[in-house]
Amino acid sequence: MLLTEAAARAITDKLFGYVTADDAVVTAFSEDYSHLRFAANTFLTSGQRQGATARVTVWIGRRRGSAATTDLSDAALKQAVDDAQTFAKLAPVDIEYLPTLGQQTYKPGQGYLEATAHLSLPARARQISDAIAQSEKAGVVSAGFHQVSLVARASATAHGNFNYERGSTVSLGMTARTPDGGGSGSFRRNHFDVGQLDTARIAREAIRRGVESRGARALPAGTYPVILDGQAVADILTAGAFSFDARNADEGRSAFSAAGGATKVGSQIFDRRINIVSDPWRPELSVFVATDDGVPAQTMHMVRNGVLETLRYSRYWAQQKNRQPSGPLALIVEPSAAGSSIDEMIRTAKRALLVSRFFYIRTVDPRSASVTGLTRDGVWFIEDGEVKYPVRNFRFNQSIVQMLASGNVDLIGSPERITSSEDSGTDPVLVPALRLNAFNFTSQSDAV
Amino acid sequence: MIRREFLKAASTALGTVTLAPWILETEAAAAADVDAAKSTLAGAALATAKRLGAAYADIRINRYRSESVTTREQQVLNVARNQDFGFGVRVLVKGTWGFAASSIVTPDEIRRVTEAAVNIARANAAFQRKRVSLAPVDRVTANWRSAFEKDPFDVPLDDKIQLLLKLNAAAMKTTGVSFVSSSMVWVNEQRFLATSEGSRIEQYLIRGLPQFNVTAVSRETGDFQTRRSLGGPQARGYEYMEKHPWEAEAQQAGDEAVAKLKAKSVDPGTYDLVIHPTNLWLTIHESAGHATELDRALWWEADYAGTSFLTPDKAGTLRFGSPLVNIVADRMQPTALATVGYDDDGVAAQRWYLVKDGVFVDWQTTRDLAPLIGRKKSYGCLNADSWGSVPFPRMPNVSLEPGSANTSLDELVAGVEKGILIYGDGSWSIDQQRYNFQFGGQTFWEISKGKIGGMLRDVAYQSRSTDFWGACDGLGGSSTYQLNGSFVDGKGQPGQIGVVSHGCPAARFRQINVLNTAAPIV
Repeated sequence: MLLTEAAARAITDKLFGYVTADDAVVTAFSEDYSHLRFAANTFLTSGQRQGATARVTVWIGRRRGSAATTDLSDAALKQAVDDAQTFAKLAPVDIEYLPTLGQQTYKPGQGYLEATAHLSLPARARQISDAIAQSEKAGVVSAGFHQVSLVARASATAHGNFNYERGSTVSLGMTARTPDGGGSGSFRRNHFDVGQLDTARIAREAIRRGVESRGARALPAGTYPVILDGQAVADILTAGAFSFDARNADEGRSAFSAAGGATKVGSQIFDRRINIVSDPWRPELSVFVATDDGVPAQTMHMVRNGVLETLRYSRYWAQQKNRQPSGPLALIVEPSAAGSSIDEMIRTAKRALLVSRFFYIRTVDPRSASVTGLTRDGVWFIEDGEVKYPVRNFRFNQSIVQMLASGNVDLIGSPERITSSEDSGTDPVLVPALRLNAFNFTSQSDAV
Repeated sequence: MIRREFLKAASTALGTVTLAPWILETEAAAAADVDAAKSTLAGAALATAKRLGAAYADIRINRYRSESVTTREQQVLNVARNQDFGFGVRVLVKGTWGFAASSIVTPDEIRRVTEAAVNIARANAAFQRKRVSLAPVDRVTANWRSAFEKDPFDVPLDDKIQLLLKLNAAAMKTTGVSFVSSSMVWVNEQRFLATSEGSRIEQYLIRGLPQFNVTAVSRETGDFQTRRSLGGPQARGYEYMEKHPWEAEAQQAGDEAVAKLKAKSVDPGTYDLVIHPTNLWLTIHESAGHATELDRALWWEADYAGTSFLTPDKAGTLRFGSPLVNIVADRMQPTALATVGYDDDGVAAQRWYLVKDGVFVDWQTTRDLAPLIGRKKSYGCLNADSWGSVPFPRMPNVSLEPGSANTSLDELVAGVEKGILIYGDGSWSIDQQRYNFQFGGQTFWEISKGKIGGMLRDVAYQSRSTDFWGACDGLGGSSTYQLNGSFVDGKGQPGQIGVVSHGCPAARFRQINVLNTAAPIV
């Protein structure tokens, strides 16, 4: 059962009742989570979890301590506050301390829907059974994961701020493999509204890709033009090499740091059609509108028309640099004009590799935001506007800055709500498919 | 009883400021057998599950404590303690699993949650294709503790802060070091398991993750280089902080971070590699540890972590590596992170070969996996990262055995004409069937004509798992053996974090492809 706003406020009030420190920020978080996992065309595990966590951070004479507990009894809450205060007395002075926020104004988000909370167990079981039945009919072996995540979160400060938000997410991902192990396809989507999650389409698309990826040919490693499906774009852009953190850039340890101690803010670093925005109110995104410590979200253009316009500031760094602190990141990558469809990208391609999904992406050089990783679950060779044949997987080594640079971006699609296939499926971004002139594949992989 | 006395003594010795005792910890530690109160609570779950028709049920009532101290330069960024307590009930109804969990640990809530687990299993059973069956297990009553000397939760906070700040100061001694961050995280798991087959098991585990990262920035060129700590997480107590030479390593790291700014960028090509255990553990983890998970081989992880190039028909026949290569799974190795007394199925910890004399011979299994390949017993690899997580197959400690001759690192290097010596884990990536991998490192040293030369940078080695292990022609002896490991090994849906150690000696590999990872800075 999620905490209501009144119940959450009662917990934060109770925590403040125990606080004797100079300053404090407290949060009350609750979740109601359920899942159904299937593989080898049969159900594996299925469960639900309900829980809540209270967290308190205090400062005594600018010395900081934190504690958290999942036990919401009065005694446990008091113990958490006592622990945090004990730690604060022992800690050295926190030279980055800033007084907690006073009352803030929040423009509400829209990312919670009761209908998502009320998906019944039999309805879910039938949806997944239908997906397995589609797989059986197509002669493929499927694995996948359906989840519903409901969260409620309240944060409050000793200086009078209070914020309460709820969020819902439902997601389904599915991978369909041919029984001989020679083909594998995948598709996944999520939404805050269960009515917007088309489970039949997800199954259909995964199966189609699995069947059509069978019999892949080996191509030599090298630099190829590519069409990256939106899933592949979400995978590579959210893999951690790409941070807009201002402090890292100012301190000289970011891809956005420049020689001579400067940053690249104001520089044309990406293609002129690329915009990178944070906006939690976009109807398709609708995510949280405050950070854990209460900073309200803003609509921010980090990159506008390819120019690095601003970086993101923590409260401390914002104060040091006389900037506004940044709210939560709600990542959107969008073109300046109307986007192209994948079909159009294929139809107008002379020669390219169509990539469905990336896997195991890790940073190899933070200075250039270079990452390595592999293709997975479907690569196809495109020639003269037609899909010719499936291709075996590759490892790549690629700078993301170079990937999005002027001269390398050919076509940009329309943004879609997707989550990285390597995260929990509950952190959506809006990203487009991309057609790129060059992408560096450095070795072949035997994996299917 | 011995434990309670130790706590009292420790509290006296700690001086003026001591932290409040953790009531259930004290109770659990004092129990000679399993906790009676938890057994009573468990009875509510098991009786409810039986009444509702479950063929099997278990309940885990677990408490997790963690403490973290985070610093940079001479600042403490945060000190935090978390406590996480709750229970999870797993039931098997008509061959279908159901699970439910809650953080409210009362008899009424336990009965409600057990009913919810049964309802989930029943709803799914109506559509189930293949029924789950379980390999048999011995009934056991046990109380087990991991091998630690000094409980880190009893150590004064100030000692921890001062250790990290000293470490930071040591790193900053080198001219050219710009930043250093350091932290230590301690985790205590207090696990209780009761099964409908009569097992009652209580376990008390301690583990720690100390780490630091040194950065050298050249403001003139816009270049920066880092050097992370080499000492990894271990299932040890605070004695790990006192016995490992953290300060000396931090000073060395400072020197090496600065040296990396001016090191020669590697020429890509094929090299003989001598790999230190601080790097090789991660290669073992990815190419051998995950590849020998039976759930992957049966495509249970196909949608997320992936499958395996090892398939059930290959056990006993596939040549995994050179005849020197012996890889063992071990949930009994002291101070290793995946060491337990019993897994979450209640199966006792074991040790067995995965690769013997270079041949792949066996799998990691659980009670529901073992029957699928005709086995009558589980190797005990079931684990959940929380009371609120469904237990599922997780990796035991997987280690490369040292060579029988006590070969030194220098002797391995002496046999190399043109090669690279690699320390520390860096970037890592492997495909979803565990064929193609690429690993970086922390420091790289040129080897020429059997001698270690200057420092290199921008190095990553890329290979295919069986090619790489087949190219192993030299193993260090037991004097070069070290344990390293992961505190955050992700797998499963919903995603769970595993902890696992990998021991290995230094080892030599012939003619491995090396990449230069530096890309032009735009």
